[in-house]
Amino acid sequence: MRRILRPVVFGLVVLVLLAIPVVAILARSYFLSPTAQPAKAQPIAFTHPFHVNTLGLDCTFCHRTASTQASAGVPALEQCMFCHRVVPTTNKPNLERLVQAFESNTPIQWNRVHQMPDHVKFVHSMHINAGFDCATCHGQVQQMATVEQFRDLRMGDCIDCHRQNNARTDCAVCHY
Amino acid sequence: MRKGAMRRRDFLKLVATSTTGAVLFTGCGIGDGDPEREFKIESPVLNPVDLVYGRDNWYATAAGECGLIVRVFEGRAKKVEGNPDFPTNLGASDARAQALVQEVYHPDRIAQPLRLTGARGSGEYQNASWDDALTELGNDVNGARGATLVITPPLSGPMGQVVNEFVRAADAQHVAYEPEDRVVLREAVRRVFGTDTLPTLDLANTNFLVSFSADFLHTWISPVQFSRQYGEFRQGREDVRGTYWHVSSRMDGSAANADRWLPITPGTEGLVALAMAQVMVSEGLVDRAVAERVYSGISLDQYAPDAVAETAGISAEQITELARRFAEGKPSVAIAGSLAAAHTNGLFNLTAVFALNYLVGSVGQAGGIILNPAPPFGSDVPGPSSGLSYTEWTGVVNDLNSGRYQLVIVNGVDPVYGLPEALGLREALANAGKVVALSSFLDDTTLQADLILPVHTTLESWGLIAPDPGPGYQAVALQQPVVNPFVDSRAAGDIFIEAATAAGASMPWPTYEDAVRAAVDSLRRLNRGNIEAADAKQYFMMAQAQGGWWDTTETADSAPNAPETATAAAQPEYAGDPGQFPLYLLPFPSNSLGYGETANLPWLQALPDPMTSAVWSTWVELNPTTADRLGVGTGDVVRLVTPRGSAEVPVYVNPAAHPDVAAVPMGQGHTDFGRYAKGRGTNPLDLVEPATESETGALAWAGTRVRVEATGRKVRLPRFEGQVPAFQLEGAPIIEVIPSEH
Repeated sequence: MRRILRPVVFGLVVLVLLAIPVVAILARSYFLSPTAQPAKAQPIAFTHPFHVNTLGLDCTFCHRTASTQASAGVPALEQCMFCHRVVPTTNKPNLERLVQAFESNTPIQWNRVHQMPDHVKFVHSMHINAGFDCATCHGQVQQMATVEQFRDLRMGDCIDCHRQNNARTDCAVCHY
Repeated sequence: MRKGAMRRRDFLKLVATSTTGAVLFTGCGIGDGDPEREFKIESPVLNPVDLVYGRDNWYATAAGECGLIVRVFEGRAKKVEGNPDFPTNLGASDARAQALVQEVYHPDRIAQPLRLTGARGSGEYQNASWDDALTELGNDVNGARGATLVITPPLSGPMGQVVNEFVRAADAQHVAYEPEDRVVLREAVRRVFGTDTLPTLDLANTNFLVSFSADFLHTWISPVQFSRQYGEFRQGREDVRGTYWHVSSRMDGSAANADRWLPITPGTEGLVALAMAQVMVSEGLVDRAVAERVYSGISLDQYAPDAVAETAGISAEQITELARRFAEGKPSVAIAGSLAAAHTNGLFNLTAVFALNYLVGSVGQAGGIILNPAPPFGSDVPGPSSGLSYTEWTGVVNDLNSGRYQLVIVNGVDPVYGLPEALGLREALANAGKVVALSSFLDDTTLQADLILPVHTTLESWGLIAPDPGPGYQAVALQQPVVNPFVDSRAAGDIFIEAATAAGASMPWPTYEDAVRAAVDSLRRLNRGNIEAADAKQYFMMAQAQGGWWDTTETADSAPNAPETATAAAQPEYAGDPGQFPLYLLPFPSNSLGYGETANLPWLQALPDPMTSAVWSTWVELNPTTADRLGVGTGDVVRLVTPRGSAEVPVYVNPAAHPDVAAVPMGQGHTDFGRYAKGRGTNPLDLVEPATESETGALAWAGTRVRVEATGRKVRLPRFEGQVPAFQLEGAPIIEVIPSEH
């Protein structure tokens, strides 16, 4: 009996030991994954649902360079003020904050929501012009009271999508 | 069981150890960076041009003696380049300029005012509001009238003006810190050329260049300007390729570019220069009367090559050939600096070498040394000035220790790190009533502060800089903020203006930006220079767009024909008994970290040293024979022992190292200064005895002897070369370095 037990116990111990790093890596990947992060509060509680659903604005109305440049562009306060010059701010603390920032010439420092790994370049225009919808990567932003990261946006995610769409997957496509 | 085979117990141990290691390395790390600060994205107030036109913005600004342009996108500074219009650098830039973006977005940048909660030097601070901090500073200034010390770099232009106003209002004393060899250089230039501004070179038209220990391609006064000229010197002319000899006791990056390198005994640069003069006079290559006027008070006949060859450590023939080439290869030019200035006879070394230029008629002539005019500022705006010598610093430390100062304000310099530990400045600051630091980083001096006021970095600041050395004519670089401040910092000039106002002064400008604008407007009223504009507003905009103001016609007045003051010949002296301490300790400024002021920036930490390719560390360069005698090789840790102290550093064995020299780079060994510099390497100045240059009183940081002892330990010296073994390829043999027969 002991002759059988010892190798079995030995084998189990080896398996458990070997499994530790695998579990650790998976756990780290899960807990640090961008989609597992809590939603970030922003200096102004801008609502995408109101601007998109109620007003019917297109994404590129504010994110102007999404179809022409690498960066989609976070709008300048001046652009907000094109409309908000005529929107009353009474009893709207967020709008008051916006107008006050504009008038005091203070830029707004937003908390970046979408995290991508270092050393990778993502070009918005290329993806938009290839026919992808913003929601492919960003999800239904028009339904998010506070924007959260929808996709993993790490290398595995990028490669999967590139393969599904027959896009190039050589290193220099993104790492240049 | 077979002998040597692995037993099950051993196997289990191995598995356990390796898995634990794997877990530690993969499971626990959460990456670096500070998400709270790093992952911000900015909505600028106005639609930036990059969004309106879909192109990146390039803004002109300046740092040091270079005009720069910076690519800005979405409110973030992305890339620095040289300003192609600015006359000192004409589009060139260096690694230090490139790394300015890291200064702005550094994870350890001080983000808001800090008030000390623990003991001085403990690094324990709590946040304070700007209102409280500035009120506190105002009260301190008022309470310490006549007992305030202000420490800054040498200031010219509007910043100098603002600080002068503050000093007057607060009845304070103002002292300037700069590397000590620079103090000697300024005095040498004053004596030999009679100017307060440093001279530039006209290498594009030079035929023969000899540098005495001046690493002008990497660290000496204006490396970008000289490197650009050096390209023209070597390759800019169809018929001439300039010839360059280097005379020094350490092979530095410039020496490695030379056609010939003469390895001399440390501190004998001046001696070799006199021997060259003697050869030129005795062979009739130059006029004896000129030489007597230039070297008044020195009998050149004593300095025949045969008489100095042994002391200098090179042969008489080498000196003679150098002298002949120098005299016959006109236009020729001789420069000296860095290590040559850092001996007890530093001033003699520099003056003797610079005076050679008079013998061949190179002063103020094409292809020679070009003197710079005074900056175009009005009489109320300070021009270039010198830092304090070590002897003067001793006086400051005594005053501090006697309790004379109730308030010390430090801005833009780190003298606690940059001056040797032997001075005791750190301890002396503890005797000041209060220390206020205007700083972006927790450097060694800031760490002694009771109140820290974070200031803008270069790319966020206004300024008007007269480059020193300039391009040979009047030029001023306009520094403008290219991005909004990334943290809650203020302009140092604004803090001084507020403090002066609190002290009761009526300042002519409400902000530092106004002081800069006023200075630019005074340039407009000169009615000359590169900018043409209808009114003051347009003039300022043009100055911003072009990156500065310059007037190519406004050169120095006629050059003198001999040094104004003679300097007596002197021998170098060394601290430490040669029997006990057989080698010379030669600290040298680092190619990337300079004297340590940029050690906080990781790009510069990771930039390989041009001679050793070493990064991120301190090492000691030893000759193979010296290393063999000690029984050490590259990577072996040795103990450097001087009469002042000891430090342990790894060895780099270099066949080009002088056998009597242990050369150690400066720049590391900071107490704090952010995560990339903290506790890294050794500051060689801590090993240096406080010997001073005999005439200027500046620190002779190369005036100490050292003993090298093996410790038996070995580390892997981080470096770029030799990490991958060389493979023999057909037609591409491996080049092996072997000691020469001689």
